Amino acid sequence: MHDSKLGIFGLISDAGPLVLFILSVLLLFSIVSWAIIAYKFGAVRKSLSESAAFLDYFFEVYNTEKIFAESERYRNGSLPRVFRAGYVELRALGQVTDMKQAKARVARAVKREANAESKRISSLVPFLATVGNTAPFIGLFGTVWGIMSSFQNIGLTQSASLAAVAPGISEALIATAAGLAAAIPAVIAYNYFTHQIDSIERDLEEFSPEFVSVCIKEQ
Amino acid sequence: MNRGLYPLRTDRKFYAWLVAAALMHVLVITLSLFIWIWESGRHVKTRVVNVTFVSLPGSGGASQVSEPGSAETREQSPQEAKAPSLTQPVEQVAQVPQKKLPEEPLKSKTDAKPSDLTRTLEKLKQSADRKTQVSPSSLNSALSALKQKVGTQGATGGPGQGAGSGRGASGVGFGSGGIADPYKAQIAMIIQKNWEFSKSMMRNSFGMEVYVRINILPDGTVREIVYDKRSPSEYLNMSVKKALEKSSPLPAVPGGQGNPGLWIGFVFTPEGIEK
Repeated sequence: MHDSKLGIFGLISDAGPLVLFILSVLLLFSIVSWAIIAYKFGAVRKSLSESAAFLDYFFEVYNTEKIFAESERYRNGSLPRVFRAGYVELRALGQVTDMKQAKARVARAVKREANAESKRISSLVPFLATVGNTAPFIGLFGTVWGIMSSFQNIGLTQSASLAAVAPGISEALIATAAGLAAAIPAVIAYNYFTHQIDSIERDLEEFSPEFVSVCIKEQ
Repeated sequence: MNRGLYPLRTDRKFYAWLVAAALMHVLVITLSLFIWIWESGRHVKTRVVNVTFVSLPGSGGASQVSEPGSAETREQSPQEAKAPSLTQPVEQVAQVPQKKLPEEPLKSKTDAKPSDLTRTLEKLKQSADRKTQVSPSSLNSALSALKQKVGTQGATGGPGQGAGSGRGASGVGFGSGGIADPYKAQIAMIIQKNWEFSKSMMRNSFGMEVYVRINILPDGTVREIVYDKRSPSEYLNMSVKKALEKSSPLPAVPGGQGNPGLWIGFVFTPEGIEK
């Protein structure tokens, strides 16, 4: 093979054990981040689209039985899930005598489901924030360590020329580059998901009382 | 409601994405590795066109001075003294050693001299005949002196005309001999010993060659270090300079008394010294 060790792989092969460990950690971070990004992207998009479709049907038909039947089609939407929770609670009450108490119980069920839905939709997303915040620092740690080793080598060879200093530094900078490569997509995805999740949570807050009132009115 | 089943299903989905992400990373890394190897292969192809110079050009170069003080080669090529044409300098230089010029120019020059002499003698005789023979003894002595003078000129050649003017004997260049020169091998070993250079500090050894020649005084002192070609790595250049400075004084030049200095060339590569 080519004797000159140019390129990223040449630098990685010359790296020390700590730098290699850091690179492995960053690789793992990157893999998990991308898995979360792909998984959440699908989940959030589905939730938004199904919620929008359910709301259209909800405002079109004011019959709770029909709405409930329609909501069964939207298994991944947040709003249909919350509505189903309220409806199920209402049916569990049976014959209602005290309307105030029935309203309170349905409202509680709806709120509980809204909270659960909010947690479900925002799960794993904080990991993206963790990667986005820590990966550059982990990479930087590897770089600092690599530069320390490089300076030791410079001391041994007793030469401070650019040719003696540059290879060690470029080798060390691989860790920072890997950290940034893991962090940048994670930060972008985190910002996107927080925005979308905020939107879903606003919908849940806004339409939960509406669901309760519709259920009680039907009763 | 099947609340318990839902997270299980989502977990499975997430694991599937996890595997997909891992495969994607493996694919990207493999692709990068493949591109890197391919790029490396391209570099190797260009490296085939690599010329290694063994000898150093200029006065005192190793190959040029392999026969120190060879006056014969200088004498044989009077045309060499003339400026060679710029169109075919290599061919002319290559042809010079093949040409055997067995003193023909010398003969032609010396042949021309007797005719002048006879003409002069005739002139002198005529003038002597015209004049009264006042002092025949002085005329004879003058003729004999002229004959002697012409004879010596014919034997040695004219100043600046003949190729055998002794330039080779008093030439400035003093070579170090061929590759197998024991003195050169000895000093190369000394320099190699004093050369502190770590190959591991070089990421790229492509084109890392330093052509350097040193001027060694008869007592072995390194008088001058000349870089004929520097490497891109300043670290390698400086390590070579340090090694040469550290090696001074070298062993005395064998038979080098009276010479202004011995020029020896070396090629330093990360693999070692090429003599």
